[in-house]
Amino acid sequence: MDLKLPPLGEGVDSGSVVSILVKEGETIQKGQGIIELETGKAVAPVPASAAGKVTKLLVAVGDKISVGQPILSLEAGAAPAKPAAAKPAPAAAPRTSKPAPVQEETADDAPEAEEEEVSGPEPASSPTIRRMARELGIDLRKIRGTENGGRIVMADVRAYIERLQRLAAQPRSGGSASTPAKLAPEKIDFAKWGPIAKRPMTPLRKVIAQRMAESWNTVPRVTQFDEADITALNDLRKKHTDAYEKKGARLTLTSFALKIVAETLKKHPVFNTSIDLAGGEVIYKEYFHIGIAVDTEQGLIVPVLRDADKKDVLALSKDLNDIAVKTRDRKISLEELQGGTFTISNQGGIGGGHFTPIINLPETAILGLGRGAMKAVVRDGKIEPRLMLPMALSYDHRAIDGGAAARFMIDLVRGFETFDEKQLG
Amino acid sequence: MDPIHTEIVVLGAGPGGYAAAFYAADLGKKVLLVEQDKKLGGVCLNRGCIPSKALLYAAKLISEARESAHRGITFGSPQIELDKLRAWKNSIVDKLSSGVSFLAKKRGVQVLTGRGYFEGSQSLRVETPEGQQFVTFDKAIVAVGSKAALPKAFDLGNPRVMTSTEALEIEEIPEDLLVIGGGYIGMELGSVYASLGSKVVVVEALPGILTGADPDLVRPIQKYAEKNFRELRFNTKVTQMSTKGKKIRTVTIGPDKVEKEEFYDRVLVSVGRVPRCGDLGLENTKVEQDERGFIKVNEKQETADPFIFAIGDIAGGVLLAHKASKEARVAVETIAGEESTSAGVIIPAVVFTDPELAWCGLTEGEAKSKGITVEVAKFPWGASGRALTYDRPDGLTKLVVDPETERVLGVGIVGHGAGELIAEGVLAIEMGATVRDLAESVHPHPTLSETLMESAEVYYGFSTHTYAPKKHE
Repeated sequence: MDLKLPPLGEGVDSGSVVSILVKEGETIQKGQGIIELETGKAVAPVPASAAGKVTKLLVAVGDKISVGQPILSLEAGAAPAKPAAAKPAPAAAPRTSKPAPVQEETADDAPEAEEEEVSGPEPASSPTIRRMARELGIDLRKIRGTENGGRIVMADVRAYIERLQRLAAQPRSGGSASTPAKLAPEKIDFAKWGPIAKRPMTPLRKVIAQRMAESWNTVPRVTQFDEADITALNDLRKKHTDAYEKKGARLTLTSFALKIVAETLKKHPVFNTSIDLAGGEVIYKEYFHIGIAVDTEQGLIVPVLRDADKKDVLALSKDLNDIAVKTRDRKISLEELQGGTFTISNQGGIGGGHFTPIINLPETAILGLGRGAMKAVVRDGKIEPRLMLPMALSYDHRAIDGGAAARFMIDLVRGFETFDEKQLG
Repeated sequence: MDPIHTEIVVLGAGPGGYAAAFYAADLGKKVLLVEQDKKLGGVCLNRGCIPSKALLYAAKLISEARESAHRGITFGSPQIELDKLRAWKNSIVDKLSSGVSFLAKKRGVQVLTGRGYFEGSQSLRVETPEGQQFVTFDKAIVAVGSKAALPKAFDLGNPRVMTSTEALEIEEIPEDLLVIGGGYIGMELGSVYASLGSKVVVVEALPGILTGADPDLVRPIQKYAEKNFRELRFNTKVTQMSTKGKKIRTVTIGPDKVEKEEFYDRVLVSVGRVPRCGDLGLENTKVEQDERGFIKVNEKQETADPFIFAIGDIAGGVLLAHKASKEARVAVETIAGEESTSAGVIIPAVVFTDPELAWCGLTEGEAKSKGITVEVAKFPWGASGRALTYDRPDGLTKLVVDPETERVLGVGIVGHGAGELIAEGVLAIEMGATVRDLAESVHPHPTLSETLMESAEVYYGFSTHTYAPKKHE
């Protein structure tokens, strides 16, 4: 049998092979990463959907592959058969946001935007075409047949796949903004001023570069600064550290931050949105999935902690540790990198004060935390040494106004300063 | 005997089972084929399609010889040596059956003779002549087929009451034969016995013969049968049956509600087929069955038990050999991890009466009952030169068309050789051909295949050999 690229979700239907994690002849387990795939969103391993011995690799590093494309051939032999040979996942999750109709007025001569809703009987095609479509996971109803009676022939399928590839290659930023990446800067010979070393950008670096530039170029960003007095919170943390350790969790400032941010977001839902300019809508998410920026050897990765509002500090601490370890070991799945509604970037572990974080699209806000430091603070007319946490809230001014941000910040600071010990369980 | 482990075990070596076993072996699987009959090939080869077609061919020779009198060719009345006819028929069956065995051997498919019984979802006990053989397997494909139904009221324990199995053995040519059931088996075997000289009466509880097919396609068959059989009785039921010396006494009630007592030398019961689901040990698996005993499967031929697949007659639907063979491919491909499906596959149906009847895809009746808008184009064979040279103008070719896309959705043919002609219809539908595709594909002259092209031309109103008012541009 062949292992194929499974549906990746969230409108991602192709990606580039960054590395191949298995060798021909190797026996692999179900769930083991077989390749690392770079999509517009991230670089993530693709898990094996079945166990067996790899008989042939069908992709190479650098290949652009689409959902349904075989990655490797497997001899299912040795492993005991699992019940019901891995049913294909229920066809890709429904997309929430419609892709922007590129330019409405030129819709006629532009290649037709992918029709989203398809229903009715399958159009005419030969058994060969139908089999191929099944294998590639293509819905033939999305293809316009060019022969008599709308019959789909190989050329139609090829044209459709080419179009999908073109769509996949376009940055999904919406709008027809010129792609700055294409402006090839003048090539400079740095070596003429001294010795240099050239290192290739890793695929992850390229993804980060592209996404940061996309955010920078599209989002009118404002960063709001403040400080929270976390003297009491830090005492609480110290007091409960041992108890948490016994329960197998590490109580960190980020655990608190997750809880406080989730609660503040509930009060200020506009910080938990995405905007759809083309559709003229702001999408309010009624779930609170918080992205956590994790510093890895390869670069920044942002796994998502689901339903932060529904978990207590203990559960959040455990989840946080789990995803951080998984991310550093590069075992995080693409699924776990998607669906975030707000991001926290805590540099406190490393050091530093305020910084201006870049918004993790398609979210509308991000909180940057620096290192808590002892400062002389005036309290009740006296100068006291207090542990102050630098906080920086970057927000998308298209969705959020300054007043809202200031109010958000005030509640956030209050959350840190008046954290109720009862919440630690 | 030591237990055997195999990747795939196939139960039943009919056209579904052996196709599955061979295909799985061709894909490199270790396959065990379990068949209780010493001869491989199942009903199709041993007690169905093949022997009946051999007899029908012989019968046709008799009727064609008789019909050639008006062409100035007469023969003496045929001398029929039943033993020789039976031996010839059996030689064909033997040749094909040993061919299947040979192909199994060539592929390294291990054949186990015996009755299989599921002990669990992944284990099987086979009662072989040498004793019990236990088998464990990764996946099983159940292809045990169906058998002729013999309702209790007709089961007199008298060999004069036959099902298709016994009728194909042609022990004698009965003077008077009653055929109960005007489906394809009754009509085919009725034709054989009629040609051999029996006076055949067909009783059918429904208002006509071959009720699954469109009436306009059945009409020529009915006409021919009315001429060659003693009688066709519709809306009629057999209410009593008993042995009376060397005869079978029957009582029938027709639409007039009057009981009619008759005596026949033999009776052929052809009232349908039932699944061979008994004594399979299915209760030891998670396999589910419908109320009639057919195994429930999805479009990948998966049963409710993740280790067990079912194909062919036992999986219900139309009981046809080629449907079983297609499902064999689907089951094996699914096991091999391929995306396979039997959904939407066009399964042609052929009735080997005289004349033959064949159809595929959507029938006119089905379109009507499902409320699908279709247009129908018909070409009567009276306008076909080739049909006239066969002296068989009693044919009709028709297309069932989606008027919007002009796609061919169904094809029905009645007439000489319809069974061979229908394959083009299957291809047309599977390829999503339009009526114009058929009209523009040149068909050789003079052949019966032209009737497909001409019926397509009828749709547009420019058929050369018939006149139909113009309907479509």
